[in-house]
Amino acid sequence: VSPQRRSFSLSPLMLLIIGFAILVAIGIASGMLVNQARTTSLWVTHTLAVERQIGELLLALRRAESNERGYLITEDPAYLTDYRASATKIIPELNSLQALVVDNPKQMDRLAQMRPLIERRLDDLRKAASLRQTNRVDEANQIVRRTESREYMDAIVRLAHEMTADEVGLYQARDQHAHKLYTLLFITTAVGGVLIVLLGGLAIVLVRRSTRELKSAQDSLLATNENLEAIVEARSRDLIDANEEIQRFAYIVSHDLRSPLVNIMGFTSELEALRNDIFQEMAELRRDRGEAGTEKPEEEDTEVELGSEFDEAIAFIKSSITKMDRLISAVLRLSREGRREFAPELIDMKALVQDLTSTVAHQMQEGDSEITVGDLPPLYSDRLAIEQVFSNLIDNALKYLKPGVPGEITINGQETPLHVVYQVSDNGRGIEEKDHKRVFELFRRSGQQDRPGEGIGLAHVQALVRRLGGQLQLESTLGGGSTFTIRLTKLWSPRRQGSEV
Amino acid sequence: VTESVTILMVEDDEGHARLIEKNIRRAGVSNDLKAFVNGTEVLEFLFGPDGQGTAAKRNSYLVLLDLNLPDMSGTDILAKIKANEHLKCVPVVVLTTTDDEKEIQRCYDLGCNVYITKPVNYENFADAIRQLGLFFSVIKVPATE
Repeated sequence: VSPQRRSFSLSPLMLLIIGFAILVAIGIASGMLVNQARTTSLWVTHTLAVERQIGELLLALRRAESNERGYLITEDPAYLTDYRASATKIIPELNSLQALVVDNPKQMDRLAQMRPLIERRLDDLRKAASLRQTNRVDEANQIVRRTESREYMDAIVRLAHEMTADEVGLYQARDQHAHKLYTLLFITTAVGGVLIVLLGGLAIVLVRRSTRELKSAQDSLLATNENLEAIVEARSRDLIDANEEIQRFAYIVSHDLRSPLVNIMGFTSELEALRNDIFQEMAELRRDRGEAGTEKPEEEDTEVELGSEFDEAIAFIKSSITKMDRLISAVLRLSREGRREFAPELIDMKALVQDLTSTVAHQMQEGDSEITVGDLPPLYSDRLAIEQVFSNLIDNALKYLKPGVPGEITINGQETPLHVVYQVSDNGRGIEEKDHKRVFELFRRSGQQDRPGEGIGLAHVQALVRRLGGQLQLESTLGGGSTFTIRLTKLWSPRRQGSEV
Repeated sequence: VTESVTILMVEDDEGHARLIEKNIRRAGVSNDLKAFVNGTEVLEFLFGPDGQGTAAKRNSYLVLLDLNLPDMSGTDILAKIKANEHLKCVPVVVLTTTDDEKEIQRCYDLGCNVYITKPVNYENFADAIRQLGLFFSVIKVPATE
């Protein structure tokens, strides 16, 4: 994954976080603003309440005043009753007002001025009323006429107006503040909303882009997958072709090498026959001469020497040809084996290996060896190939014993879900680490060369196991025995094999 | 062996030809022996100028055939001989280095009478030719029609 891609996949997440943060900020700001607005409107209500209370107070005063005058003029006791009712309300109204403005020192100040004025005014009213009740009309009128009483009332009204004006000022300020808050709330919400819409748009663009990329990546993956099939097909075809080519090459080379070998061997044998003729001739000649007289024993010596040299040369040529023939035959056999069509079948491995061990009973007796066959899982493969593999490995194990040590050979097997693994272990002479690869090469052998063989067996085994789609492993140390591990697919089926040549 | 039978030896390798001839003679076979070094020549000889094989009617032949020839495969020659109605009775002995079972089977399928592998071991080689001599003596080579 390229870093570019990673940044693309991260971006929507970042946007989400940013969007969330904005929402939280809007929420907090709105909450604070709403709270403030609520407080402000409470204060507005409070202001209105104060105003109303001032009005109530003034009204009560006015009503007390006018009812008292009504009584003074008409002497109607109904006015007196109304006056009393109004007058008793005044002080509680005043107290209520004080309770409302207790937090405002300026208003409290004004109330403090107002209270004695009201009390004096009430006192005047009360005095005038009681004088009228006792029919001292003049004295009562005297009190009403007194100018200072009216001045008290004017002062009260003035103070009340001041208070009202103050409250109105407060009301306006608070209202303005509330208005500002609401505006701010609106702006905050609007800006946040716009931001979220923008972020959302951006996120959509990014998601669409990454989806598009994902889609194209998926498409290319799909195309590659389809291609891969074709590539694998082509490669395996190439491989099969190459394998066939090698097989054909090995076959032709070994075959055509044999032809001159027939000549070399044939004419060498002819020479050998000639040699006998020649030496016979020479002996006869010598005999003739010997009969003639002079005996020459040195000549006879030379002749014997010549003869033995001749024989030596011929023997070397013949043994070399024989060896070469064996090698060529081996290559031919291998190449033929390589071209044989495999026919997979279910193989009872235990039975197969036991059959093989019974055919090597003689060799076992010779080396005082013992073969233990464990529980071998069955296998679906080519019987002949498997037989050759195990027969070669068992032969080797019996052949390369440690001198003086009876052979102990064990053949074990395990099963995995897809594979079977077999081990052929021995306590023989082992193979030096440096030769572990070499022993699988054609015509190569390792260790002491005291046993007949061409160095073909393991190469053959390796080739067979490979053709069966398996692996062959060797674990061994010099003098410490060897273990050959064969790993094969449980259900082997030949894909396309080499066609007949 | 009928004296009139002529052995036609098709062998491109001179050494092999020489060894075969030597051993045939040693086996006591004294028939005429004609050597050919490629397939074209022997086919021309057998099929005659008209290419029908009628020319071979008057004589009896036995073909010793190598499979690896420079101009054509021995099996092609074998097939041609056995497909011709005048020549199909000519005994053909395949004598070659190939010991591939498939190849042997193919030759027998095509109608070859004997298949002999040339062994590298000379004694075996000589033996094989000797047996061929015996074979000559037991079969009656029919005259080609």
